[in-house]
Amino acid sequence: MIHLMIFLPLLGSLALLATPRRWREEVAGFFAALTLGLGLLIWRGGGAELFSVNWVPALGVTYSVALDGVSLALALITAFMSLVAVLYAARRIENPGTMLSLVLAMETGLLGIFAARDLVLFYVFFEDALLPALLMLAIYGKSGRMRALVQFAAYTLFGSLLMLLSIIGVKYYGGSPTFALADLVNHPVTGATQTWLYLGFLAAMAVKLPMWPLHAWLPDFHEQNHDSGVPDVMGTLYKVGGYGIFTFGLPLFPDASEQLRPILMGLAAFTALYAAWIAFRQTDWKRLLAYAGLSHMGFVALGVFSLNETATIGAMYLLAFQNVYTGALFLSVGMLQERVGSIHTRVGGVMTQAGALSGMTMALWFASIAVPGLAGFVGEFSVLLGAYQVQPWITFVAGLSTIAAAAYALTAYQTTFWQGRPLGGVRVADLRHTEWLVLGLPLAVALFFGIYSSPALRLIQPAVRGVLATLGGQ
Amino acid sequence: MLQVPDVYLAPMLPILIVLAGAVASTVLGFSLPRRALTIINLVLLGVSAVSMGALWNSGATAFGGSLRADNAALLLGISILVGSAMTLLVSLDTAFRARVSFPEFDAMLMYSVTGTLLIAFSGDLITMLIGLEIMSLSSYVLATLQDSRRAEESGLKYFLLGAVGSAILIYGIALVYGATGSLNYADIAERTAGLTPQNVAILVGGALLLLAGFAFKVALAPFHQWTPDVYTGAPTSVSLFLSTVVKVAAFAGMLRVFGGALQNAPGWASVLQILTAATLIIGNAAALFQPNFKRMMAYSAVAHTGFLAMTLLGVPGLGGAALAYYLLVYTLMTAASLAIVAALQRTEAGMSITDLRGLYYRHPAYAVALGVCLASLAGLPPFAGFFGKYLAFQAAFQNGYVWISVLAALASVAALVYYLRPAMLMFMPDRTPAREYPHGERAATTFTVALGVVGVTVLGILPNLWYGWAANPAIWETLAGR
Repeated sequence: MIHLMIFLPLLGSLALLATPRRWREEVAGFFAALTLGLGLLIWRGGGAELFSVNWVPALGVTYSVALDGVSLALALITAFMSLVAVLYAARRIENPGTMLSLVLAMETGLLGIFAARDLVLFYVFFEDALLPALLMLAIYGKSGRMRALVQFAAYTLFGSLLMLLSIIGVKYYGGSPTFALADLVNHPVTGATQTWLYLGFLAAMAVKLPMWPLHAWLPDFHEQNHDSGVPDVMGTLYKVGGYGIFTFGLPLFPDASEQLRPILMGLAAFTALYAAWIAFRQTDWKRLLAYAGLSHMGFVALGVFSLNETATIGAMYLLAFQNVYTGALFLSVGMLQERVGSIHTRVGGVMTQAGALSGMTMALWFASIAVPGLAGFVGEFSVLLGAYQVQPWITFVAGLSTIAAAAYALTAYQTTFWQGRPLGGVRVADLRHTEWLVLGLPLAVALFFGIYSSPALRLIQPAVRGVLATLGGQ
Repeated sequence: MLQVPDVYLAPMLPILIVLAGAVASTVLGFSLPRRALTIINLVLLGVSAVSMGALWNSGATAFGGSLRADNAALLLGISILVGSAMTLLVSLDTAFRARVSFPEFDAMLMYSVTGTLLIAFSGDLITMLIGLEIMSLSSYVLATLQDSRRAEESGLKYFLLGAVGSAILIYGIALVYGATGSLNYADIAERTAGLTPQNVAILVGGALLLLAGFAFKVALAPFHQWTPDVYTGAPTSVSLFLSTVVKVAAFAGMLRVFGGALQNAPGWASVLQILTAATLIIGNAAALFQPNFKRMMAYSAVAHTGFLAMTLLGVPGLGGAALAYYLLVYTLMTAASLAIVAALQRTEAGMSITDLRGLYYRHPAYAVALGVCLASLAGLPPFAGFFGKYLAFQAAFQNGYVWISVLAALASVAALVYYLRPAMLMFMPDRTPAREYPHGERAATTFTVALGVVGVTVLGILPNLWYGWAANPAIWETLAGR
């Protein structure tokens, strides 16, 4: 069933090519929904056990996949947001066949990333998710896309190739027979070699996360993407960096991660604050959201690097649900653009004519800036709580960014949705048809898991304990 | 007393079949149209491949080990045949437009293939040299065959520089002979162990000259300067041949000489390391600034030489296997990309990268195919280029060449940028009129492209289909014989 879940979207993506134009939306929606359904079935069944066969025996590459704990949580969110993205793209984008196909292809890459338990397989999926993202940008992007594209690809590949070298190094110096995670953990690398390899691995993850100073691709990537926000939804799911560090980085490089902890935590806190500060100056909703996401990812990094149980749980929680509300916000920006033809933050007065859109957007922003009762709060609070026990001052600095978050979000919100409607502005329509679902479902999820977090925590907590136990963490 | 050499037909068979094609093209050219000859040659290439399959694991040799049909030779030979067959297929469609549609083209091509196979099957330096010369001389003609100033210029350039390369190579062979007293790979490998210091000096000199000579042939920097001009000036189907088959053969020779005969000789590895580094930097950096797609592919061929040369830095067991895998994949993806160029270009000068804008909306299948090839060339999974690159990294890394692996990783980023630009331009919407040759898509070219694309996809998802054959280290431990 797990293989079906991973490859079903890709199958759907290929099937779309052979589907007559008028049925494409339905087929895409069907495949996305089926994937989510499979995911939920796996969840009910208590996760999918490790499945492992040799893929390239001569190289020791295995096809090992499992979906449990953190990876299951992230896979479910991915499947959910892909469905939402498909729902929105089907209505919003003219002749959406190619876009839907790409969304589904990317979903396979992302699910694969979360399911992989073999480093080379992880790398393969990691890169596979890149191709549809690039194509989305190339086909649907705006005029400056070439630069954004090259920047994005160059950063990503720069990191991944160093990671590939680290992967080769981990197996070679550790003397493991295969690249399967379990084997690699049993054949650890020690000493200075481990630190160097960790740095190579981190390079890839810090680009994806993204973390200062490797974040420069992110704002352009979002700004140049299609207005609908659909590619951005997939793009926010792209933040597999935190997951990669947690699942592969910590178990494989335990000593190095303890050794580098203060530096990395410092960088993470700086990223959070710096991004929030820059977000404050943005006048483009997409860039603002990009920096807001960057700031959140600083929190995720802070949590993971702190090696503290509470903080790491919080980080994973944040990682999972940040996708939901930030993704939905990107879609709401798309709706705004559709209505007023601009994503400038000084549009003004949208609230008076489109109450439901504005209200939903506001609620989602509350989730994003960690208002209690919404999913963002649980994550951010746990991170701060846990990280404080490790590095109080660094955590204090990072904590400042929550104040900054309220400032940038509410200022931009105020100038767009409140204030007066400019004279001669077009009439703004409210939510229609599936748009209710597109914003409503993520909001419901954010609300549900903000109030009742135990189903998610039950998935995340044991996994985090398992990983940290191997470190002898605090 | 005169000794009769042990002449066995079986190990020569794959070469003889190809040679028969060359002779047939020369003779039958008077009575048969060129298309018929091309088809005959394609069939003969197939028969040659079958005979190689029959020789698998036989370890047959002839002429006292001067010609060896061991598994290493067969694996490299298959890549050569694949590349040659793809060239012939493309020439079926484009030779007429390129004004090289006469029987001599086929004859020269098949002579060249004969030479390349001879290199792959060589057991001593003289056989290797004969193969190399047959290959080079026919390639010079191929590059010049088109009736145009550009082709003449490129052919002359190729000839002059190739001749210098050969001269250096021959001098290197002489020095190696002087140092070890043998031309046979196996004997050289044996005798390099116990040499007097004077002889070691001569051996090192010989090895370095050999390296320089080969560097000319495979286009390692700084001996690469002829490549962009020749690949751009020659008709595209010839560029396809030169950048795949000829390169495969030259690498086969390098593998035989450096991985086998000179395996224990000092000195050459550190120099090769520097050449590789230079190639990676120069090839990738120069490709970044090419406005012409065909010329960019020429620099990409140089850049790939750097990756291929990394495999020679590995121990033969790993490096040879990596090289064999990479060469086949490289042949498939390069040949398919150039086949698309050959089909769509308006003139033999190729097309500019900006001409590719919107190709997806005019020739969707070709655009997707080219996208796959470029992704594979850039080393993105799930395409086979990824495993090729991976194996090359691994071979060098595990033999202690860590910094060059890191350098290669950085160079790959540049590579991604220049492969990405055309790949992404193809998918961008475009309203200007098409700039392609209007009757581009023809059956044979399309088949070649499909072969390449299916090849890199299947070999990327299931690398074991090919790597499984090449992976056995025992094949590569006995490169020199024994």
